[in-house]
Amino acid sequence: MKKEMKNVSSVQGSIKPGNNSAYKTIWRWHFYAGIIFAPILVLLAVTGSIYLFKAEIEEFMYKDYYEVVPQAVKVSVSEQLEEVKKLHPDALITKYRPGENEERSSEVTLIENYEILTIFLDPYTGESMGELNSDDRVMDKIEEIHGELMAGTLGDRIVELAACWAIVLIVTGVYLWLPRKKKGFSGILFPRLTKGRTILRRDLHVVPAFWVAGGLLFLVLTGLPWSGFWGTNFQTLITNSGEGYPPSIWVGDSPNSTVQTKDIAEVPWAAENLDVPLSDIQGLVPLSLDKVVGIAEQEGIYPGYTVYIPQEKVGVYTLSVFPPKAQDEATMHIDQYTGAVLADYRYDNYGIIGKVVAWGITLHKGTQFGLPNQLLSLIICLSVIFVAISGIYLWWKRKPQKGMGAPVAPALFKKKPFLFLIIGLGILFPLVGLSILLVWLMDWVIIQRIPALKKWLNA
Amino acid sequence: MRKVNVLLLILTSTLLLCACSVRSDASELYKQETPLKVEINMPESIDADREITVQAILTQEGKKLERANFVHFEFWKKDGSVRYPMKEAQEVGEGVYQIAVNFKSEGLYYLEVHAGNNRSLINPRQQFIVGDLSEIELDALKQGTKKDEGMHNHHH
Repeated sequence: MKKEMKNVSSVQGSIKPGNNSAYKTIWRWHFYAGIIFAPILVLLAVTGSIYLFKAEIEEFMYKDYYEVVPQAVKVSVSEQLEEVKKLHPDALITKYRPGENEERSSEVTLIENYEILTIFLDPYTGESMGELNSDDRVMDKIEEIHGELMAGTLGDRIVELAACWAIVLIVTGVYLWLPRKKKGFSGILFPRLTKGRTILRRDLHVVPAFWVAGGLLFLVLTGLPWSGFWGTNFQTLITNSGEGYPPSIWVGDSPNSTVQTKDIAEVPWAAENLDVPLSDIQGLVPLSLDKVVGIAEQEGIYPGYTVYIPQEKVGVYTLSVFPPKAQDEATMHIDQYTGAVLADYRYDNYGIIGKVVAWGITLHKGTQFGLPNQLLSLIICLSVIFVAISGIYLWWKRKPQKGMGAPVAPALFKKKPFLFLIIGLGILFPLVGLSILLVWLMDWVIIQRIPALKKWLNA
Repeated sequence: MRKVNVLLLILTSTLLLCACSVRSDASELYKQETPLKVEINMPESIDADREITVQAILTQEGKKLERANFVHFEFWKKDGSVRYPMKEAQEVGEGVYQIAVNFKSEGLYYLEVHAGNNRSLINPRQQFIVGDLSEIELDALKQGTKKDEGMHNHHH
């Protein structure tokens, strides 16, 4: 650990030309990446910790909307829809979700005045039990922060960037952690509690960081496939390879209806022209939702599925369910007019990479193995928060009065292995590559030309 | 100069990733269904009390479907006053299945074709007019007017 201490002193005191400049370079990268992305990683860990318990929290919050008393006979889906239309005559109905068990209400989702509402219905009485505006759903907000910092596409990219940089942090961190002298496991696998504050501060970052590194890497890798930029490209690549998700589940289009548009009955009132020739209303009319639900039951779709109602003439009914366990997933497209099953994708029909990604997602969400899964993920999240904060604390305590206290920057391009590592990561995660590029440009154009800034950043 | 190389490498890899989209034939790489397709043929205008022929032309996997497992026709009037029992259609070859039918009263009708073959089931519903529509039926259509006009406005 002497080396470690020497580096610390070199930061605090005068800078000596160290012979271990690779170590310094990597430390420098770890240092800056940590300071910049720690806040975002903490935010992700906090929101993630809450979101792990989404089902339980919502079950508690929306008890009055969810629970119904089972009776002998159910009201038909059409009648339930009629009730919703009565309450919201001007709304566009987009989704229907039958309850997953006898004690669960059904849900109708609609768009009204640019707002998304969910109406909860008692399937035994056909009456509304209440409605929720999507904007008022706390867990949706949490998800929005976790996925895009509530800042749309830009936020999505920032989260993705933080996730990718977490990988850089892990890789550089493990390099810095690698024991340089074989002298037992203290300070490596468990912290040294009695060797003074400086060592304890260092160990409280390094040791737990080592323990959580695998878990964090797992969460990052399982989270990336559903990110906006890397995820979409990754999903496209694997879908095209035949080994991913079948098209339309994550990326790609749903099939169209098989009937010819000329055979479809005109809806004269949609044309706002009542003088449409009556003969045009002759033709195929869309399947009722009752039949779609009937098909879902016949085909054995896992309960808790959602029916997406087609909004266009050539559209299809899509049944989709992402239950707690990946093996139960299903996506089915049904012809809007004939009721033919046009595509029936179950977990078993995913390619091998698609299956792995599906498992990754349910493990990431903590649903695959229930409570043990949630608790393990929670421990990882809390550890990430601890490591991020102890890392920042470590820096704050070691930092000199003036300047950032980063190790000096040796010329990066003289370090071939490191250069290749960065290029590799930059290709695998283009956002990392782009951001590194940006840092270089900034360094080259601004920092190196302003002496005060250069000194402060130790560049 | 190596800086430039790295720059180019990263840029091209980014562009490569951005450029890809899902192949239009990607679904052929996964499990495929063989859905029945149907085209329903009936006269443009139908008079009451006159026998007409109604046809369903079935195709499956791009071929005219011969000897389907079953093809049944079911007719009823929208107001519920007339209901014809489900009847098996007669196969005439080239994927055509037909039935002769005679409607005694005028109004708005439905035909539902129930067909199945090789694990694909379909039941398309056709709306059609016999003779002229009654005032009540026209009103019912206009009733739909208000409701659906609203829906149409929010489409955008």
